[in-house]
Amino acid sequence: MNPSEFHNTAYSRRHFFRKSGTGLGMAALASLLGQRGISAAESMAGIHSVLPQIAPKAKRAIYISLIGAPSQIDLFDYKPELQKRFKEDLNDYLKAQGQRLTGMTSGQPTFPLAPSIFKFNQHGQSGAWISELLPWTAKMADDICIIKSMHTDAINHEPANQLICTGSMQAGKASIGSWLSYGLGSMNEELPSFVVLHATHTSPFANVQAISSRLWGSGYLPGKYAGVALRSLGDPVLFLDDTPGISREARRNMLDGMNELNRRSFSAIGDPEIENRMQQYEMAFRMQASVPELTDLSGESEKVYQLYGADSKTRGTFANSAIMARRLVERGVRFVQIFHRGWDQHGDLPRDLASQCKDVDQGCYGLIQDLKQRGMLEDTLVIWGGEFGRTVYSQGKLTETDYGRDHHPRCFSIWMAGAGIKGGQVYGETDEMSYNIVKDPVHIRDLHATLLHTMGLEHERLSFKFQGLDQRLTGVDPARVVKELFA
Amino acid sequence: MSPEKLEKDPSNRLLARGPRYRLDAEQIRDLALSSAGLLSPKVGGPSVKPYQPEGIWEAVAMPQSNTRTYREDCGEGLYRRSIYTMWKRTAAPPAMEIFNAPTRETFCVRRDLTNTPLQALVLLNDPQFVEASRVLASHAIQEEQAFDARLDFVTLRLTGRKMDPAEREIVRKSLEIALADFRAKAADAQKLISTGATPPRKDIDVPELAAWTLLASQILNLDETITR
Repeated sequence: MNPSEFHNTAYSRRHFFRKSGTGLGMAALASLLGQRGISAAESMAGIHSVLPQIAPKAKRAIYISLIGAPSQIDLFDYKPELQKRFKEDLNDYLKAQGQRLTGMTSGQPTFPLAPSIFKFNQHGQSGAWISELLPWTAKMADDICIIKSMHTDAINHEPANQLICTGSMQAGKASIGSWLSYGLGSMNEELPSFVVLHATHTSPFANVQAISSRLWGSGYLPGKYAGVALRSLGDPVLFLDDTPGISREARRNMLDGMNELNRRSFSAIGDPEIENRMQQYEMAFRMQASVPELTDLSGESEKVYQLYGADSKTRGTFANSAIMARRLVERGVRFVQIFHRGWDQHGDLPRDLASQCKDVDQGCYGLIQDLKQRGMLEDTLVIWGGEFGRTVYSQGKLTETDYGRDHHPRCFSIWMAGAGIKGGQVYGETDEMSYNIVKDPVHIRDLHATLLHTMGLEHERLSFKFQGLDQRLTGVDPARVVKELFA
Repeated sequence: MSPEKLEKDPSNRLLARGPRYRLDAEQIRDLALSSAGLLSPKVGGPSVKPYQPEGIWEAVAMPQSNTRTYREDCGEGLYRRSIYTMWKRTAAPPAMEIFNAPTRETFCVRRDLTNTPLQALVLLNDPQFVEASRVLASHAIQEEQAFDARLDFVTLRLTGRKMDPAEREIVRKSLEIALADFRAKAADAQKLISTGATPPRKDIDVPELAAWTLLASQILNLDETITR
């Protein structure tokens, strides 16, 4: 027997059940497919749908990734008592903690305690303490759940970002969005199910970390589940329009022949990347029609722009990306991740953190309100957060008006909203120094387990065989769904 | 992998087989240029500026940057090997970045290897690849008369092999439709063959060249072509 033929007939029991499961799921998608005239069989091959394992609270999610790590002490983790301890040297305290510091501050002669320079007030019915840097977030205190007890294993950006985006500090693992696409399939056939947006930051002084497609890659999962990044400036998708002289029909004809040729390679060789490539060419063809409509914001009302703030009209800003994120999820995109960089305030924190907050604050407010007004917040999960926290001591010189903060993995603050998350809730507590967690710790694994749970997936059952292991987003250490977050 | 080879060396001790990888960004561009005979063999010298969509660097550059405005080269600079393409740190040449070329902001010991619709659009519509397809097509038309010989000309240069009869039939069908289409819409044919800085040959029938351009592009876009 020809070995390639063997490949073709080597349907396992697992294949059989997966195909049958997909077949059932397909019935539900019939109306969706009916919208387009293209060959249904082909479309179905592109949509891999495993039925949800538990009742989902959310159909879609938007993850706002603040790269660089926002300071919890200056935004959500209010520590008024520290004002009295201004400049207290924490050298002995830190030694007793037995935790490594980064090379950026480990050689400092003193570790002066730096209380936040910013005012905090209580907001909403819940009375959550929120910094003056986030006035718009404060207005929606009752919509969001602030988690003050996040913690991570990593102390530097790249491993920390990989950990929070892919569940592992090592490169090559599958990102959150690709797990969701793999586990749940696509809800639309016009756009990728995982889209990445890169929002620009305003401050020319911002300390910016490089990020790469590792954070939204598919790792060991098939390449079609990787996030597709839209450009924030210039054309959102390069070379989207066909070359002058190539009509839509001519392109279709060319792709049909190409598909047939690729399909022959696939049956001879069996490399799944060939099948992926065929699907990606089909997606490209469909995006040629769907992206111009998606990115044409001229139909958005003045009210919408007011909600998201004045800079929402400027391409590439965070607020503009937030509108785009809403448009994407409206069109059936499963997972949108907005990256906003520049949150690494090692020095000049008062100046730079203020500017970073101003970049995103009203956009976040606009997004939540907009989703709420459209009845979408109840089944859309929104997460806001960085990759770790920042130190209570000052990096470099501490003055009455200026300080910096180094990386701190033992606690940081994020917020979540929508999808049955109980708004107006503050979860978890840290000690008086915002150094250690004293109540309800939430590891990144727990966040991931919770996110998957919200989307209807069990983190222990969503796995993929690779290198002899059942790979999971949450890895092998125990993780728990933080059920207390839900109303 | 043939059954004979599998029989002879089931555990691949002789390393006749290996994993399949998509070519890197530079290799794909160089392959397209060399298949069309456009690739300049020149070695060394200052970096060059091939085609780039407008406004890419204005969008990301500092106001005072001396590379803010991209000015495309003309002539040989458009066809040098990709390692000579000018590199602006943090803003890699976009078509290459889409094929996972690093931005050179940080060390890169291993490139990511994604497979995205954005890559499909580059190979379909980036003028670099459309022009290369057209120039390859015009060489094929000039050198050979029969369909099969022309097709061999194209596939040998892009995939290193001749197609089997079933594959030829598929390509022939695409070509016939394209040819009829371009005969009916001569203006479209003219537009397509005018892409790129190399002027189209005047001694070739325009619709025929356009149809063969689309055919060459079809072969260039095959998974087989960009995978080793």
